[in-house]
Amino acid sequence: MSSQYINEPLLDMFIFESSQLIQQLEQDIIISERESYLSELAIDEIFRIMHTIKGSAAMMCFNNISTLTHSIEDLFYFLREENPQDIDYSTLCDLVLEVVDFIKVEIEKIKNGDDADGDASTLINANKDFLSRLKQFSPPSDTTETKSHISPDTQQIYISQNNGFAPHSANLFKTVIRFDEGCEMENVRAFNIIHNLKNITNEIRHIPENIVDSDAARTIQNDGFIIYLKTDCSYEEIHQHITRTAFIKDLELDQLSNNEQFGQFEGGVKIQESKGQGYKEQSNKGQTEKELQFTSAGQSIISVSVAKLDKLMDLTGEMVIAEAMVSQNSDLKGLELDNFHKAARQLHKITSEMQDVVMSIRMVSLSATFQKMHRIVRDMSKKLEKEVELKIIGEETEVDKNIIEHISDPLMHLVRNSIDHGLESLEDRRATGKMLAGTVTLEAKNAGSDVLIIVRDDGKGLNKEKILARARDNGILHKDESDMTDREVYNILFLPGFSTKESITEFSGRGVGMDVVTKNIEAVGGSVSVDSLERVGTTVIMKIPITLAIIDGMNISVGNSRYTIPTTSIRESFRPQEADIIRDPDNNEMIMVRGQCYPLLRLHEIYDVKTDITKFSDGILVMVEQDDKIVCIFADELLGQQQVVVKSLPSYIRNERKIGGLSGCTLLGDGSISLILDISGLADFTGKDIKN
Amino acid sequence: MLRNTDVIELWKESENLMKRVLIVDDASFMRMAIKIILQKSGFEVIGEAENGVVGIKKYQELQPDLVTMDITMPEMTGIEALKEITKFDPKAKVVMVSAMGQQAMVREAIVNGAKSFIVKPFKEDHVVETLNKILEM
Repeated sequence: MSSQYINEPLLDMFIFESSQLIQQLEQDIIISERESYLSELAIDEIFRIMHTIKGSAAMMCFNNISTLTHSIEDLFYFLREENPQDIDYSTLCDLVLEVVDFIKVEIEKIKNGDDADGDASTLINANKDFLSRLKQFSPPSDTTETKSHISPDTQQIYISQNNGFAPHSANLFKTVIRFDEGCEMENVRAFNIIHNLKNITNEIRHIPENIVDSDAARTIQNDGFIIYLKTDCSYEEIHQHITRTAFIKDLELDQLSNNEQFGQFEGGVKIQESKGQGYKEQSNKGQTEKELQFTSAGQSIISVSVAKLDKLMDLTGEMVIAEAMVSQNSDLKGLELDNFHKAARQLHKITSEMQDVVMSIRMVSLSATFQKMHRIVRDMSKKLEKEVELKIIGEETEVDKNIIEHISDPLMHLVRNSIDHGLESLEDRRATGKMLAGTVTLEAKNAGSDVLIIVRDDGKGLNKEKILARARDNGILHKDESDMTDREVYNILFLPGFSTKESITEFSGRGVGMDVVTKNIEAVGGSVSVDSLERVGTTVIMKIPITLAIIDGMNISVGNSRYTIPTTSIRESFRPQEADIIRDPDNNEMIMVRGQCYPLLRLHEIYDVKTDITKFSDGILVMVEQDDKIVCIFADELLGQQQVVVKSLPSYIRNERKIGGLSGCTLLGDGSISLILDISGLADFTGKDIKN
Repeated sequence: MLRNTDVIELWKESENLMKRVLIVDDASFMRMAIKIILQKSGFEVIGEAENGVVGIKKYQELQPDLVTMDITMPEMTGIEALKEITKFDPKAKVVMVSAMGQQAMVREAIVNGAKSFIVKPFKEDHVVETLNKILEM
């Protein structure tokens, strides 16, 4: 990489923009492939995307990317300009997708600070072969360069329109111009000079005569660019005029004494009336009607780096805490402060509004993540020879940017699993009278403070016996089989080291997929469940929180410790009567509420906290629910509801040992630390010996 | 002693010396690359546009001293935009930003009033020299 561009923001921008373009390209191609047709628009867009990436990559000196994109650009230039018939769309799409994959890999390398060292030569050759095959089958016409937008014969020689005013133009000059090495396109630079001179000269000739061909660039590099001109201007004027051109290394300008040398060229070059006159008129006319109406509005969207947003989020979190610290300050206790409370309420209103806005900035729709699946479906259906239709519902649903990053991989696993394991082969589908094309549905929808992401297929469904048998073989069965509900059986799928597929395929891996799904989803505080009906299909539901950072919480106290329960999981809280408490044979405490029995959890026992309140009638019970599991938490008292900023437990605690039932911690208004309870984790404590 | 108003005058003067540039390019990467180079070399980037249509509008709004104009862009190509800009202001100083292999288009641009051109991938001193030469015109 050339040193002047080792520039972090520029590199970031390269990665960001190229990845976006690549993604768009991928979608364009997949849509085109489905329709077996490349519209003019699509061709133009693909051409432009490749052109842009080529330019950017060349700037960053990622030469393999730039040469590869160049070859695709050439291919699409041909498609755009020549519009050949009989294109082998399937091969073309494969080619472009391979290029997409290659660039993706290289960008990933760049992101990780590695060298982008992939070898693109096979791909480039494939592109070239494809192009030459296309050219064979379409009528011969010289494309790229000669398909010039200006007819070549208007540009060689200019005779200025003021010819008539100065019939005796006195001065003849010969000039030899050499350009800086590496300035590129010498012939066009020469063209530029001639173009600039034409208005102050009466006659002009140059060697090489033809500066349209790129071959001329080499001649000019070697021999210099020689111009003979006839003008009224003085030596100084001409000299000055030419030196204004960029990249001139060397300029020889000689005044010629007679017409002799000049005349030598008379025969060889045809002289033409310049188009300058007409052009001038045109531009004058343009001036009078200059106001062009453009309706396009100013830039209303800007892109901001995620780091800044994270910072903003952190600060907002701090502000929420600070606000609580002020308004719940212990110094205020017992004081009558009407105006203070009015102001504090106003502050609270603004902080919570601001919080909403900051959250909404971070919200990103799932559409990009969902659209990515088209590619997976395409690749897999091709390889596995299954017909698959991907249906997408609710892609506009939004979740926090950080969460999106965590669900992309799990989603990919699930879609792969659905196609590979879920959908039957074509013969099986025909035999069971199903539609030949299987359907995989991706759906996203809001459910309270959660988003549900559902992957559904209409395949053969899960086989309970098979799952149980496999679980038994692998020794991962902890419960009595007859006790297990259907759902519990299906959830075995998500245990580590489980796979019902006998053979390992390229796509679905070695049965590590499903537990990776759970791990990823749980990392963002979500959960996964599966439901299935044999012969009808399987549905996997991922439930993820919309945002991680700030939650509504109920603060409770146990002894000197504080805990926060996410408000969304609270069903009710009540003061129990001793008579409702029952014990099961293992001496686990349970409580009977309206004829239903729920397990009881004493927080002070779980976390070994000293408290005077151990009798149920002195404290309070909070009934919480998560994933259909309900437990009652016993605490000393409720402190109040508040928005809290979720912080993860400090690493020195996490490294020490894993503490169950806690999802993080938060700072309360009085500066004390409250531990945020993880309800699904807590529910696992029931019926187990906690101390171990 | 310098009064406040003097400072403002001085500041205005130095602002006037800084040449005001409009960058038209559909790739934000390219806009950023050009911007970094120009800012380092004492130019003031007063506007950016992501296609020809916006470019023309910004030109009319901002009346920059210089324009760098990409050729391949959506909505409206650099050449179309160049034509409109020179129609609006025949003295406009537009520099084309071209990729290798776009010679025909660069020639067309020159015929239509582009003052010079830069070839991608460009080097910092090339860009600066090209722009400075044009300002001398």
